[in-house]
Amino acid sequence: MNNDLIIEGLTKKFATSASVAISDVNLIVKEGQFTTLLGPSGCGKSTTLNCVAGLEEPTAGSICIGDFVMTDTARGLILPPEQRHLGMVFQSYALWPHMKVFDNVAFALKLQKRPSDEIKQRVHESLALVGLEDLSDRYPFQLSGGQQQRVALARAVVSRPKVLLLDEPLSNLDAKIRENARVWLRGLQQQLGITTVYVTHDQAEAFAMSDMIAVMSMGKLQQYAPPEEIYERPANRFVAEFIGVTSFITGTIQKVDSQQITLKLASGELLNIHKENRPDQKWKQGDQVPVAIRSERVEVISGGASSRENTIKAHIANRTYLGSKWQYSVETAGGSLRLESTDAIHGDNLFMVLPPDSIILLAE
Amino acid sequence: MTSAVQETPRPLAPKIFRWDTALQWAVVIITFVLVIFPAWPIVYQSFMDKPLYEKDTAFTFGNYTHILSDPHFWHVLIYTLAFAVMSTIIAGFIGIALAIFINRTNMPLREFFSNLVTIPYYVSPLVLAFAWIEMYGPQGFGTIVIRALRIPTWQLYSFWGIVVVAAMYYVPYTFLYASSSLALADAQLESAARIGGASPFRTILTITVPLLRPAIIYSALLTLVSALELLSIPLLLGNSVGIETLSTYLYTIGMVGVNKDQGAVAAVALLVVILVTGMVYLQGKLTSMERRFVTVGGKATRPKLLDLGGWKGVVAFFIGLYVLLGIILPLACVVLDSFVSFLSPFMNPLKILTLNNYRGIFDTPAYREAVVNSINISIFAAAIGILFMAIAALTAYRSSFKGREAVKYMALYPRAFPGIIVSIGFLWAFVLLPGIGSLRNTIIAISIAFIMRYLPLGFSAISPAVLQVSDELDRAGRVAGATWMQTIRHILLPILRPAILSGYILLAISFLKEYSTALFLVSKGSNVIGTTMLELWKQGGAEPVAALSTIQMAITAALIIASRKLLGVKLHE
Ligand SMILES: Nc1ncnc2c1ncn2[C@@H]1O[C@H](COP(=O)(O)OP(=O)(O)OP(=O)(O)O)[C@@H](O)[C@H]1O
Ligand SMILES: [Mg+2]
Repeated sequence: MNNDLIIEGLTKKFATSASVAISDVNLIVKEGQFTTLLGPSGCGKSTTLNCVAGLEEPTAGSICIGDFVMTDTARGLILPPEQRHLGMVFQSYALWPHMKVFDNVAFALKLQKRPSDEIKQRVHESLALVGLEDLSDRYPFQLSGGQQQRVALARAVVSRPKVLLLDEPLSNLDAKIRENARVWLRGLQQQLGITTVYVTHDQAEAFAMSDMIAVMSMGKLQQYAPPEEIYERPANRFVAEFIGVTSFITGTIQKVDSQQITLKLASGELLNIHKENRPDQKWKQGDQVPVAIRSERVEVISGGASSRENTIKAHIANRTYLGSKWQYSVETAGGSLRLESTDAIHGDNLFMVLPPDSIILLAE
Repeated sequence: MTSAVQETPRPLAPKIFRWDTALQWAVVIITFVLVIFPAWPIVYQSFMDKPLYEKDTAFTFGNYTHILSDPHFWHVLIYTLAFAVMSTIIAGFIGIALAIFINRTNMPLREFFSNLVTIPYYVSPLVLAFAWIEMYGPQGFGTIVIRALRIPTWQLYSFWGIVVVAAMYYVPYTFLYASSSLALADAQLESAARIGGASPFRTILTITVPLLRPAIIYSALLTLVSALELLSIPLLLGNSVGIETLSTYLYTIGMVGVNKDQGAVAAVALLVVILVTGMVYLQGKLTSMERRFVTVGGKATRPKLLDLGGWKGVVAFFIGLYVLLGIILPLACVVLDSFVSFLSPFMNPLKILTLNNYRGIFDTPAYREAVVNSINISIFAAAIGILFMAIAALTAYRSSFKGREAVKYMALYPRAFPGIIVSIGFLWAFVLLPGIGSLRNTIIAISIAFIMRYLPLGFSAISPAVLQVSDELDRAGRVAGATWMQTIRHILLPILRPAILSGYILLAISFLKEYSTALFLVSKGSNVIGTTMLELWKQGGAEPVAALSTIQMAITAALIIASRKLLGVKLHE
């Protein structure tokens, strides 16, 4: 029996706002996979997650785990959260302040009227899993932020849910702890093999942890793919721009062959682009297209022009010193670019190489 | 995307009965019934030409044309407005001055004064009016002393007498709102003015007072609304000299001419409700507008106190004088009077000490019952009331129930109903509805009326606390498998315990001193302290009234002290 989480046609419009919060989101999270909903603030990540949890009632759509249908608006079915058997961790951890750690974790089991031996044992297991078995007698306010977050996780998995939902669980931690927590959390997820939906607006987090990333913007799913694909083959301008340090330049397609495309800038400079980046798209000679440039892959050539492929001329418009590196705004014949370099560049003019894999053709 | 779900049609989940929804419906229906119950007979009666319980009543506008063309009604209306506005202004000025001096300056004895000036908040206005009569009335203790010194005295039974006593009663409203607003405001603004060279008083006038504007407007309108419906002070001080306000007018015709003028009573009552509704609406509008200007720092920095320099003794002296003359001496007079056979400055009270007044109360079954009833109502009805109000607040703010917005409005709407009108409405409703007439003269009826009247108080005492609890806490409960009701029981109610307890004490004190809502509902065996005091007052015995007042104050004080000591309850910030 497969236990994929299947979201179809999910749409939510809040009565109090004019626009839809999410519209027609389709998503399949394979059993055991870690999927991240990634997107800027207000794009509808939490709303999607809450619809899955049953905390929001969607306007349309269906949600099921395997053949367990939790929401199906066409049939007027919306199970309340307590009947969905999910685990959830909230941004504020939401530990109940009047209950000790033990009681927080035991709450779900007590509601299920489990025998007290079993409760004790399972709570202990859960707390051991997050490494906090010694703190079961503390109150939440006696714990550090990181410990609270672990208790919240122990609480979410104690009743062995099929799906674990996490809404920015690491965003309240210090940057240092956050990086460790990432690794730890991903390890734990793999150990439990639990289907997980994770919400964040931090792309580093998304890339470090996920099997699949769902990029969202303005309530719409923009791309749903594994991390590498999101990075290498962004589906559209939004995804390209949101992921990594990206600039856009525009040119005209001069030549299309089976391996590559040649783009001509206004100055006549030529850029070769590997086509494998976009096997799915058709390009015609003469099309005016924008391409995305991954700044981190751009090489700055010091001292005169080079004969290398894809070398173009640029003029520095602006420079910012960031401590570990310099950030430059440069003007090229195709538009302005942002790039970073550990070297201080003297003078206002420079040559740079845009390796073929630093240029990404976009669908629009 | 492949449609894995629709390929295999599954049976519809059975529509299950949910206790959650049942409880939420119950809350909405009870709230609705509570509010409508006393309201409909008044509306209905105001358009009927004869008392409702008579046969052949017919629709008419006659009651309104009759009232609106009656010059006496207009006279009373204008008088009421003048009285309410004047006492609001005076109470506002005193309250703000007290709040600023006590909270923001280095005058001595600040904590002490801060407790004393709020005393009238916990005392029934009936008791306060009576206390002032005992002290400053024509035969009052203080008046006689002054007269004996051949200094010209005053006339307490007058427009200004009523205004001053009502103002005394309302000072704590402004004081409390202004104080909590001052606690939130950023004291650095004042320091900045001082550093800029402003004198302390100048700083207060140009920085502190403007910052208080929202609190001032809010408490002024609150005072105005309750002054409009205030019964006891105008009744005790104005009745004998023919001064009438809307509520004493309703009281008099309501008490005397139940049969004759019922339509007119209803019409006046409805006009009052409309007037108060307007004020309440205005209050909501102004405060929501004002909220945009509030600059709450949210920093718990200890505010630096303004140094009054040589003035601090003077300020403390005048505040002390105010507390002594306005609050302590009158109330002390009442207590003293309850322990003597006759209070007079020319008799040594120690020689005429007696417990007869109390014996009189406890030996007369009707009076004893009144005390017991009041205690029962303030313990049990307040407990049921606050629990209901808490669940109503949770339904309004913490459920996905469709009618939750309606709960908010309905729970706050009784603010527009003066106690005396609630009383009339309940009376008529009990008379008219078949089957429940037997409840009419029981303390159950009075309890229900009290709960209705104080629905807004309890609801708004608990709502801010509800809003402060992150909703992720209850969401986490739901996901963990708790129904809405289980979430309420195991998570929200325990977390809200402090707010519910202080709401309970507030409600219990209010029920203890409430009388106007009970006026038309009491009868033999179901009297409460307040209504009994009024009755005794009409019979002319000051000492029994003093004894009852003292009992009421003692119970209130015990409640406050016990709740503070045992439960750690703070009634206001
Ligand atoms: N209760 C609500 N009523 C009305 N609008 C809402 C409500 N909750 C969310 N929205 C709106 O729906 C949209 C999506 O909100 P959502 O909380 O899902 O965003 P998000 O992606 O989680 O953002 P963030 O990263 O800031 O948490 C936003 O435009 C938001 O203003
Ligand atoms: Mg969110």
